[in-house]
Amino acid sequence: MRRALTLALLILASVPLLYAVSLLPPVGSEDNPTYTYVVPHYLEEGPEETGCENIVTAVILNYRGFDTGGEVTVIFTALMAVFGVLLIPRPAEKVRQPESAVPVSPVTLFIVRTLAPFIVVFSVYQIINGHSTPGGGFQGGTIIGALLIAASLVMGSERTQRLLPEGVRRWLQPAAVLMFAVVGVTGMLLFGEYLSYPIEGEYLFLRVPFLTLVEIGIGVGGAAIVASIFWAMEGSDG
Amino acid sequence: MSNHPVVLAITVLFVCVGAFFFLVGTIGILRLPDFYSRTHAATKCDTVGAGSILVGLAVYTGLEFDSLKILAIAAFVLLTSPTAGHALARAAFRTGLVPWTRSPDKGGVG
Repeated sequence: MRRALTLALLILASVPLLYAVSLLPPVGSEDNPTYTYVVPHYLEEGPEETGCENIVTAVILNYRGFDTGGEVTVIFTALMAVFGVLLIPRPAEKVRQPESAVPVSPVTLFIVRTLAPFIVVFSVYQIINGHSTPGGGFQGGTIIGALLIAASLVMGSERTQRLLPEGVRRWLQPAAVLMFAVVGVTGMLLFGEYLSYPIEGEYLFLRVPFLTLVEIGIGVGGAAIVASIFWAMEGSDG
Repeated sequence: MSNHPVVLAITVLFVCVGAFFFLVGTIGILRLPDFYSRTHAATKCDTVGAGSILVGLAVYTGLEFDSLKILAIAAFVLLTSPTAGHALARAAFRTGLVPWTRSPDKGGVG
């Protein structure tokens, strides 16, 4: 009975959804609104309007900058939620002992140590060059975060956390949100609207620095959040 | 980019070898009996498969800066992927996962 009811509800719910899908413009059709107006505009005017040679960054940081600002706020809120769940003090006997049973393999240690400088250079390149090449803050930040996790695995979390002390970490976690606020308010003071970038005039030279600042904020914040979530799950943060 | 038949032939050869190893590795992940042998199969995809395809692409690109980038990717894949496989298998063995053997009475799972 219950199964039949579930099935009936599912069918009932799927009918309007499928009907809506049938009303969408056909996939890949040339005269979709996206192809006739939005995409040509972005592709033709994007580099000039935004100062980004990389059209993906132009869309993410400029055309839908509000959306990305909201996105980094969501990521930061997710971190707060993770902390809220994971940092509840646990009874002593339930706390998992650190898995020191398996000593670190010298091979893994050597490879992580050898590759670490390359990884740092690559991620910084991605963050700084995000406005002109593929990549950007999200990607570069995740790479640094992954490097911190790898370092925690081979050197132990305590030694890695010394690179990013608790007091510093707390301020780096909201870096993306703070940087969006700073650049947004600066844009508002100079050009009248929140998160507006100069299109022409005497402040035009500020356009690329603005974008780079936001990229750096996203990168630093992302790295701190990725590593912090790992440490919180491991139980070594708090 | 070059359309010289020899270059194309070398590219096709390398990419086919890579695709073959990806196929074999995927079948291995699905069909092999335990963690160790599946790890063994999975690392073949990343090292020989991806490495060979990347070398093929570098040959196809020719003597350009981009082919250097591709070869750098191949080098890093060749360094990191076996390390990941090594770390996984080592952690599993040290925490007491018993390797599969054909006869159940030798400590295998069957």
